[in-house]
Amino acid sequence: MPFPNVRLTNRPLHFIYICDCSGSMAAQGKMQALNQAIRQSLPGMVKVARDNPEARLLVRAVSFADKASWHISKPTAVEQLQWVDLQAGGITAMGEALELVATQLRSPPMEERALPPVLVLISDGQPTDDFDAGLKQLMNQMWAQKAVRLAIALGHDANMDVLQDFIGPYPQAGGQVGRSMQGVSTSARQPLQASNATALAQYIEWASTAVVGAASMPVSRTQGSASEGNIPLPDLPPTLIDPIEGIGPVVW
Amino acid sequence: MNWILPEGSLLEFDGLSKPLKVLRGLGGGGQGQVFEVDVAGEHLALKWYFPSYLARDPNLPKRLGESIRATAPNSDFLWPIALLRPTPATAEAIKLSDPGCGYLMGLRPPGFVGAIEHYAGRIEISLQNVLRAGFFLADAFHDLHSKGLCYKDISLGNLFLQAETGRILICDNDNVDVDGRKLSSVLGTPGFIAPEVLMSRDRPGTNSDLFSLAVLLFRLFTRHDPLRGQMDLGIKCLDEPARRKLYGEDPLFIFDPKNKRNRPNPEEHAAALITWPIYPETLQNLFLQTFCDGMKAPKRRALTGQWKEILAKTIDHRVLCDQCGQENFPDDLATPATCWNCKSTLTQPQTLRLANGVVAASADNEIYLHHFDNLKPPDLNHPVGQVVQHPSDPSMLGLKNLTTEPWTAILSNGSKTTVEAGKTCNLAALIQLFTPMGDVITTI
Repeated sequence: MPFPNVRLTNRPLHFIYICDCSGSMAAQGKMQALNQAIRQSLPGMVKVARDNPEARLLVRAVSFADKASWHISKPTAVEQLQWVDLQAGGITAMGEALELVATQLRSPPMEERALPPVLVLISDGQPTDDFDAGLKQLMNQMWAQKAVRLAIALGHDANMDVLQDFIGPYPQAGGQVGRSMQGVSTSARQPLQASNATALAQYIEWASTAVVGAASMPVSRTQGSASEGNIPLPDLPPTLIDPIEGIGPVVW
Repeated sequence: MNWILPEGSLLEFDGLSKPLKVLRGLGGGGQGQVFEVDVAGEHLALKWYFPSYLARDPNLPKRLGESIRATAPNSDFLWPIALLRPTPATAEAIKLSDPGCGYLMGLRPPGFVGAIEHYAGRIEISLQNVLRAGFFLADAFHDLHSKGLCYKDISLGNLFLQAETGRILICDNDNVDVDGRKLSSVLGTPGFIAPEVLMSRDRPGTNSDLFSLAVLLFRLFTRHDPLRGQMDLGIKCLDEPARRKLYGEDPLFIFDPKNKRNRPNPEEHAAALITWPIYPETLQNLFLQTFCDGMKAPKRRALTGQWKEILAKTIDHRVLCDQCGQENFPDDLATPATCWNCKSTLTQPQTLRLANGVVAASADNEIYLHHFDNLKPPDLNHPVGQVVQHPSDPSMLGLKNLTTEPWTAILSNGSKTTVEAGKTCNLAALIQLFTPMGDVITTI
């Protein structure tokens, strides 16, 4: 006779992409790179969901350009998720996007008990609306305060200050060093700088697998591993050396 | 995934006479990545560490070297075989600022699945095999601790099992250290870490291994966390501070007889309430010992030898319900009992009495050498006899001789017959068996 068919207790884990779809995202294939990166990351995300049965991983996405709207409005089990491409065009209503997320992090519709949500904000530019008002509304929600908030800066024109405000203050004393060493991000408590499609794909993969894993079920802990925040963040993926990056000007 | 060792490449390492071929990436996590490699025609697994992980655990290569020299405690460990450091040419092929190092181990044989698959209820496995997996786990840690070593990071993530046999494999043996030494920086996995380690009052060692072992056994046997009951329901957001409180500051076993503050909730924690009563009191007592007195007094936790003894006995007492067929594990085979599943009265089973134990004559139950000799510790690796059903009449049970020597059977009509190796003797006719290991007496 088989082991009794008992259901394992689980809690929902809400994962929300907040994606910049302003006109500038159309340049240099950034929009396509982001769509590709998210689509490619899904099988890994499915595997993490399987490996963490105490979490019920549910994915949504917000896009923002002239206005913010739900790209995927229904919390969707990752196994059932089909990524429809985002389209670029318009300005950068980032504040409105955060307000939209805030409405969903209220209880209800948030469940009474859950795992910390994971919010991933991806942008290549400047907010054109009232970002501070949107952030304030978001951070009024308990679930937003508890959330793991990550930001990915696409290219070098993103406003790093607003992305840092979204993440929250960077821990100074005893924290990990520096925003970046030779253009390489060293801590996700600061915006992750994705200068090319490969780096973007790595960060999306990391956020949708390693971070989701850490928020679902604790991972093995060592002394000196990141302890700040309400979820210890896993190490960033090791960056493959790009022979052109970080060596200074190539021709002068 | 971005693989740090290029798939298909031939890479040279210090100490390897020939380059090895990277066949494919198998997986990756926070510590590094694992590859299937071909070393002189043999397929092995290679774990390669990220530099950031090596930086946090600088003594890792030293510990691995020692483990490799010490060799595996038993065959249930996927133990490191060789430490690999890249030659300058290989270091260049690995596109990291610091190429790091790795180690070789055997590949996980087919048929083994992550213990998480059982925990999530995605595989079919018998209670007998879950208990056998528990026995093999306790046995593996017994052998590890007997070598003066400790594991430090037992969790569901590094255990694999075979549903058809209950065999196990323990992976990720890279935190193994000499007990009491401080050469490793791992603390363990929250949810499995002993409270004194989580609260930084002590370092991981054999005593904290005993706590983690009990958590893992409890999760395998019940599909539930031993510390998540009513107190879990009070937590809105299950984050790091909440886990610290649950597992470190105020840990309370859900079945603590003296303090009922953390009892399972019938709706949210049904698994624990359904499965806990399946197990005999002697087995439940080892959990109580570890999670009540042993919660704050590490030296009072159930020892690996106790787990082995009680688990072996529980398995010996496996009885099948006539009504529903479910497996039951009564403490005492002579006392009338009811089925945990359908609540009908269990028929008292025929038993096999040996010098060192009593085995219920239920299909698939086995007898072992330790049943004949009270000086032998329980060992479920080599059964010498097995209760089997007759191929055309499943209601007819027999005892199969799994040894290479013939046995002599005394039958109820007083006659004698020989049970050759590989043959089965009908238990309905059997009074007594003479074997070179000792005697088996049947009783109703």
